[in-house]
Amino acid sequence: MINKSSIVLCLMLLVGINGGLVALPPGSPGSVAAYAAAAQDKPAPEPEAKAWTAPDQEAALARAAETVPFVEAVMDECKLCRQMRLRETGLSTKDITHSYFVLNSPIINKVEDHYGPVRFMHSKHAAQIQDCAMCHHYRPLDADAKETTRCSACHQEAFRPEHPERIGLKAAYHQQCMECHRDMNQGPVDCIGCHNKNVPDHKDKVQLAANPTPFQVTAECLRCHEAAGQDMLKTAHWLLKGPSPYTLGHRKEVEIGKSTIATNNF
Amino acid sequence: MDLSRRGFFKVMGATGAGLAASNRPARAWQSRAPEDPYGCLVDLTRCIGCRKCEQACQAVNGLPEPEMPFDDLTVLDRKRRPDEKSFTVVNRYYSGKIDERDQLIPTFVKIQCMHCQDPACASACIVGALTKKENGAVAYDASKCIGCRYCMVACPFEIPAYEYHDPITPRVMKCTFCYERVAEEGKLPGCAQICPVEAITFGKRSTLLEVGHKRIKDNPGRYIDHVYGEHEVGGTSWMYISDQPFENLGFIQVPEKPLPQLAETIQHSLFSYLWSPIVLFGMLSGVMWGFRNKGDRDIDHEGENS
Repeated sequence: MINKSSIVLCLMLLVGINGGLVALPPGSPGSVAAYAAAAQDKPAPEPEAKAWTAPDQEAALARAAETVPFVEAVMDECKLCRQMRLRETGLSTKDITHSYFVLNSPIINKVEDHYGPVRFMHSKHAAQIQDCAMCHHYRPLDADAKETTRCSACHQEAFRPEHPERIGLKAAYHQQCMECHRDMNQGPVDCIGCHNKNVPDHKDKVQLAANPTPFQVTAECLRCHEAAGQDMLKTAHWLLKGPSPYTLGHRKEVEIGKSTIATNNF
Repeated sequence: MDLSRRGFFKVMGATGAGLAASNRPARAWQSRAPEDPYGCLVDLTRCIGCRKCEQACQAVNGLPEPEMPFDDLTVLDRKRRPDEKSFTVVNRYYSGKIDERDQLIPTFVKIQCMHCQDPACASACIVGALTKKENGAVAYDASKCIGCRYCMVACPFEIPAYEYHDPITPRVMKCTFCYERVAEEGKLPGCAQICPVEAITFGKRSTLLEVGHKRIKDNPGRYIDHVYGEHEVGGTSWMYISDQPFENLGFIQVPEKPLPQLAETIQHSLFSYLWSPIVLFGMLSGVMWGFRNKGDRDIDHEGENS
């Protein structure tokens, strides 16, 4: 079935892939330009205007790719002792060096990569919690080391035989984030609350002739995403009418929309 | 020879008991558990019931796609058991405890083959299709299996399932401990690898026992003081720690002795040196010898009467 809504749907899908949590650089497998290039079997033309990315995004991605030396031993102190000591040293949210992290460690990705990276707003969390020791629960034993360090300094590969009690990085993230989100009754506790789903590279999946018509593109999308096409036909975007619980004065109307009340109807 | 029925059983019983008594001390049952196997420690307080372990198990072992997708958590509404299409399942239990927002706190329990140190299934298998490997896995060899399903009867945890739907090449299906992945590729079992919260800790069984007891000791309020699988049926490679009594979480109550100990002791004392068949057939031949002329006499009597 080829129709205009399907084109909209298809465009939404494409934009959805490109405009995901972590913005992809132009020419990367997810971008529309890449599809056009793949379809025409020639190298991608350099886009005229570079797509905007947040200035800290590149830096955060580079930081995420780093691995730091493993911290073998940590200082043994109780949680309260640590909280008090950090307070006495005067360490506060003003000392934060990086306000934003992308959690996308090669330590995890070399073993498995099921979901997209997580954006972690370090400063926002710190400002809300006002207690560094909540997450930075131990300090390295080495006296020269910084008081707080990144998670992946202590938590790296899971099940190291020499450190059986130390959980791996993936579990450290999940336990820390999810348990706190649950306790605070704030923040997501499901997978896609933090992660984007890993969208497979569509470059090899999309089979389009050179200079395809919009109908051909829609048909190509529907070849795999048939259910998404069917769902689309039930939405207000296609029906131009639907329930309107938030529209003042029309709250009790079950069906409201362009198809019923607009004067210049189609 | 005058051998009454009662006399026959008396003699036979006495001989059998005597021989059994004389044999038992000489051949005490020996455990054949591997010395330093791998294992997994499941921390039920960590499990969040996401079913990723089921998903990874299906992918790693090439099992059929499930009817309900793995991200559909409504399947947790009823209790399931591992079957021929799924080696592991997660069930949800409510203890009645509630959190600060009056929500029932669930406990999720992952079930799979426990990979016993002295597996009853391997002991019951008459063709050696099930064997306990050095790395801890109870491995199944479909090429040896004759489909008798004794393993299914023997297993105290009711784990092995059978492909009844396949009339030509049915197999016994159960968790493999990802034997090939662990032994040859040096990887982790699929479920242990994917678990997002490390509810499953993989390692040497001895290390895991230390870790388990340390976790219980360091968090006194969080756990009950029992590592399920440390002593159960002589020890298992998969072990559990929990904040709820295990009997409330669908765990089967099993003895602490390895199950093959009793079965194999009985069998070995009955059949060592083939004494029992020898005695049986000896007795039968004795009976035949005792009655060897009786039939002739009957014929003679018949002759006299006629």
